[in-house]
This record gives sequence, C-alpha cells and structure tokens, in this order.
Amino acid sequence: MFDKATLKRSRDAARRHGEAYGRLVKRFGNSAPARAQDPKTQSGLALKSAYFPHDIADIDFDDIGAPGEYPFVRGNLPAQYQLMHWANQPVIGYGLPEQTRERMDLLVKQGMVGYFGQQFFNLVYDLVSHEGLDPDHPAARGRIGQCGMAVYCADDMARLFDSMDLTKMNVVHITYYQVIPALAQYIAYAGRQGVRPNELRGNSMNWYHQSAYVGMSAFPADQGLKLAVELIRYCNAHMPRWNTTNFFGYGVEEAGGNAIEEIGLMLAFGIELVGACEAAGLSADDVLPRFGFQIAQGNDFFEEVCKVRALRRIWARTMKERFGAEDPRSMHVRIHTHTSGVSLTAQQPMVNLVRTTLHAFGAALAGTQAMEVSAYDEALSIPTEEAATLALRAQQVIQEETNVAAVSDPLAGSWYVEALTDQIATAASAFADEVAAQGGYVAAQQQGWIRRRVEASAAAWRRQVDSGERRLVGLNCYQADEAPPEHIFKVDKNAEQVAIERICKLRESRDDGRYRRAMDDFAAAAAGFAAASVSDLTESRLMPAAIEAARADATTGEMMAVLKSALGWRAPHEY
Amino acid sequence: MTQPLRILLAKPTHDSHDRGVRYLATRFRDAGFEVIFTNFLLPGEVTRIAVQEDVQVIGVSTSSGGHMPVFSDLIADLRAQHLNDVLVIGGGVIPADDVVELTDMGVAAIFGPGDSAEAAIALVRDHFAGRPEVA
Repeated sequence: MFDKATLKRSRDAARRHGEAYGRLVKRFGNSAPARAQDPKTQSGLALKSAYFPHDIADIDFDDIGAPGEYPFVRGNLPAQYQLMHWANQPVIGYGLPEQTRERMDLLVKQGMVGYFGQQFFNLVYDLVSHEGLDPDHPAARGRIGQCGMAVYCADDMARLFDSMDLTKMNVVHITYYQVIPALAQYIAYAGRQGVRPNELRGNSMNWYHQSAYVGMSAFPADQGLKLAVELIRYCNAHMPRWNTTNFFGYGVEEAGGNAIEEIGLMLAFGIELVGACEAAGLSADDVLPRFGFQIAQGNDFFEEVCKVRALRRIWARTMKERFGAEDPRSMHVRIHTHTSGVSLTAQQPMVNLVRTTLHAFGAALAGTQAMEVSAYDEALSIPTEEAATLALRAQQVIQEETNVAAVSDPLAGSWYVEALTDQIATAASAFADEVAAQGGYVAAQQQGWIRRRVEASAAAWRRQVDSGERRLVGLNCYQADEAPPEHIFKVDKNAEQVAIERICKLRESRDDGRYRRAMDDFAAAAAGFAAASVSDLTESRLMPAAIEAARADATTGEMMAVLKSALGWRAPHEY
Repeated sequence: MTQPLRILLAKPTHDSHDRGVRYLATRFRDAGFEVIFTNFLLPGEVTRIAVQEDVQVIGVSTSSGGHMPVFSDLIADLRAQHLNDVLVIGGGVIPADDVVELTDMGVAAIFGPGDSAEAAIALVRDHFAGRPEVA
C-alpha cells in the first residue's frame, strides 16, 4: 500500500522509536509494567509499542477495501449508521408473560427502537423452559420466571403480544434447546391473529452447540446439527423473513474463551453447518443470508473491535471461496453485540456503567447491527427498571451525542487497527483449522476438545486476576468498603403459582382428541427425524408437526419430552 | 490414617454459568481435596451422590436464581438422613438478603462474584481443623 520511499522512512522511524522507547523502559528498570516490556492483547497476541506503515505493508489494499465491498472487513453496507442507527435490542424477560410485556412497553416508551422505526423485542425464556420442562415439574420450583419469562404455550404468547401487530415488529426468541417448540408456539399464536408464517420477522437461536463450551443438558451434538438444518429448511420454504440461526459467539467469551477462540469457533461451526445444509440439498446462498451472530464486546478495547472486523473478513472469504456463495448477503456477518457480562463486578456495581459504555462504544466503532448493553446490576440480579433504562441510555448517548455515527468504519486505516485485525484473522483461521483437524466442530464438541480449550483460557484469565496481573477495578485494585446494594430486582413471588395454575387449566380445557392426534404425529415425526441422516432432510417434517402440536395447545415441556425421548438428552457431565 | 477431605460440587443442569464452579473444582483438587463434580435436576440427586461418595462437604453453585428451594430441600434431606456433619456451602449470584436466610437455614457460607477460591478452601479447612481423621 506504500511506495518504497515511504516504507524506508517508516522503518527508519520505527527503528528510532524502538531505540528511544527502549531507553525509556530501561530507565524504569524493574518497575516498568508488564505492558511496557511485553505488550499483548487479552488473548495473548503480541503487540508493538507503536505502529508504522510498514506494519501493514503486506496487507493488500483489496483486503481492506471499502465499506460494503468484499471482503466486508469495513462493514456489510456502504452506510454504517448515517441513515439508521443500530437496533436497540436489550434482552428482556422475567416473571409471567404480562410482566415481561410491562418491561417491553417501558423500554419502548424510553425510546428503544429497531430498524425503520420498528420494534425489536429480544425476549429470553426462563430456566424451566430452557430445561424443556413445564412449571408443574418438581425441578421447576424456584425457577419459574427466573432469568427469563414463564412462557410455555401459545396462550402465553397471547399474554405477551396481544394488541401488538406481529407483522410490524421483530421478535428474537432467546431459547436454549427449546427452539422448535418456542417457534411453533409463536407461529400457532400468530395464526390466531390471522398472521401467516411468511409475514413474521425475527430470529430463532437455532444453536444446539452451546454445550460444547458450557455445562448444560443437551441433545447429542449430531442430532443438534440436524435440528438446526431442519429449522433452516422449514424457514427456507415458509418463513423468508425469519433469521434462522444465531451463532452464539458471546457464550464462548462468557465461558472464558478469548477473542480468537470466539470467532474461530464461529467460523468452524459455519463450515460445519453450511456443509450440513448442502448435504441436505440447500445451497450456501439459500441459507447464509438468514444467519446472524451474537458477539461479545469485552474489556480489551482494540482487540474486541478488531475481532469484529476480522470475523467479517474470514467469514466472507470462507463462504465465497469454499462454499461458492455469490449473494453478498451470504458473505455478511450480521452482528448483535452483547456487551460482556462476565467483565462486570458485584463490587461497586455502578462502575459497571462505565465498563458497559466502553464496550458499547467499541461495538459502535466496530460497526455492529444491533446491541444489548448489559445493565450495571447484572452481577447482582435481573436488572431493575432503572438499570435497564440506563443501559438503553448508554446506547442512545453514543448514537445521538458522540457523532461516531457520521463515518463508516472510523478506525480503518489506523496502522495498529489494520495490523491487529490481520493478526486476529490469521489466528482465528488457524484456530478453525485446528477444529477441522479434530474432524470439525461437532466431532471436537463430542471429544470435549472445545470445552478443554475454552476452560484452559478461563483458568488462565482467573490466574491473572488472582495474581493481580490483570487488574479489575473494585475487585483486585481500588477496593472500597460498601454497603449491600439497596435495590435488587426480585421476580414476583406469585408468578410461580399463577404459571402452574395456568398450565394445569390448559391441560384440562384443551381439546384432548386434537391434542393427542397432534402429539402422536409429532412423536412419529421425531422418531423418523432421529433415525434420518442429514442428507435425508430434504423435506421439513418435524417443524410442521411441531406447529400442529402447538396449535393443539401442546406445552414446551410436553413437546420437549417427545424430542428428548426420540433424540436423546444428557446432562453435561455425561459427555 | 489420614484421608483427604471429599467435596461434592454441584450445579443445576439448566444453569450454564459453570465457569466459576469448574475453576473451584480444580483449585480444591490442587489443594489436596478429592472433588466430585455433578450437575443435577433435582436437589435429591445431590444428597444421593453425597451419600454414595461419602463426602464431608457439599458446595452448590447457582447463578440463575432458584437457589432457595435447592438449599432448603438439600438441608432437609441431609437432616432426614442424619447427615448433620456434612458441611454445606454455596456460591454464585445470590442476593444479600437471601444469604441471611440461607445462613439461618444452616448453609455455612455463600461466596459471591469476585470472592477468591482460597477463601472457600480456607473456610473448609478451618471447619475440619483438629479432626485428625481428615486433612
């Protein structure tokens, strides 16, 4: 990118800098901090004390290019936020569905908005639903409406959405592995409103591979991959506006993985999933435009920004060169940023407002499409109204007041940012190659390889915190005596009883004949699905049967029981 | 003969926030404890494994709410089986006023975000100090 004379001057300047910098460091002797002696990113990539043009001399300009041009390192579209801000997508969900609705309405009133003025609702299900149970199961006690909303059937969808126009909003269903029952119930409810599946906008998680890096009960990994293909196939035929799959990179960093592992694993899984879709007769361009990514934005400011830029490049390259994608949307990485939860502290919780604002600012510079900013009280409880509103305000301040929205990819061309982007892209591609050498993502998951790698990073991080090498304000430095926090959110105590009563009443009042027929069909479809190989999945049978069951008022626990029995379901320590 | 202390660390299956407790397991192991780790759906499973494995300590980690019934069932179970000597500790995201209630219930200590592994190990060691049959 630079002529010879410039490169020579650049190297000369770097040499002079190196000498002068070295003298300064020497003067500090042993009191020089580690970052002066051996600067590196949080994931361990080596950094320099300053960057020069020759540090990016080997990068071809076409690898950087223009915003909206392949390989999209500078963003998916020519405009970043000039025409429209990123979508506000705070995670919402607690208690009964009507209580979650209150929080949805509150945030709308506070200015939460998606694209084209429409609402995006990022709704999380509760622990009972995540486990694939109903509220009257003995293990549900104490967990109903905790960490998410107590939504278990089409009637609960009505309590959540009634009086809203489903065709004018975007709903993200944050599930664990109850993906199919949740979407089926949403479709069943929409049908009651006269809304067809092809009119619905939103997002399923469709991510059965979180258990690769955190301990939770799960379907066997190979069955999970098939379930993902099944949903993609159904949506391909019936829900053209539905974003089928959310690549859950955020979970990797929350589990302790570093930036390289996060995006390396996303690329590795992308290779596995697109390959599986192809085996089932779908092309890369059939499926890729409806994939999205949930990416963490954590403490190492530049590494986290460059990680996003790097992911866009390695994804676009892989999808184009390896899978023959031609549609630019197939090469785009659409990102929902979730600011890091794990970097927040229970100590001096208000300090988290500062942290999350920095995370959000980094995500804005990286060019994210949607954002959830963690609330400052996240290490203590479900966010209070005040904390949730402040988290939204952090986004609004960046959007309205800082003027970062005026320019696309504002950090481009920084010698440091381009060099680090390249370094991360290379390291993450190498990590994806390591996964491929294990036999691919699913095989690496089954062998526990992914878990071991992520856990090793988590342990390394913890050692650094314990030793004081990694400093966390309020935790291992600048501690203060503090009184316990006064306002802690608690889920309504009556929610539990109400949820149980509702589900029992539903079982008594629904049309039993219709329910039984639908569940028999669903069980037959599940048995056939369990026995099928990926290449047999040329027609969607499981999802339509699930929708019929949901229309017959089947609950999440009932539908998940069918799937667990057909596909297998194991606790994490059995893997 | 001195036997190493045996500790059961347990986490609900649907609480995926297991980074802390898995780390704690390695630290207890490094400190010379015999560590058994399990995920559970129902609190009764914890008692069953505790009996099977003959542990002196049970540590329950919970970071997604729903901890109160887990601890109350566990303590009731242990009492019903006359396992009054088993030390119960907890950790995770547990609000301060719940901690008071849990301590009254008989939970020896609750560790929260940012607490050190050393503190948990020291508490258990102190509890069993002067008990020559365990170390």
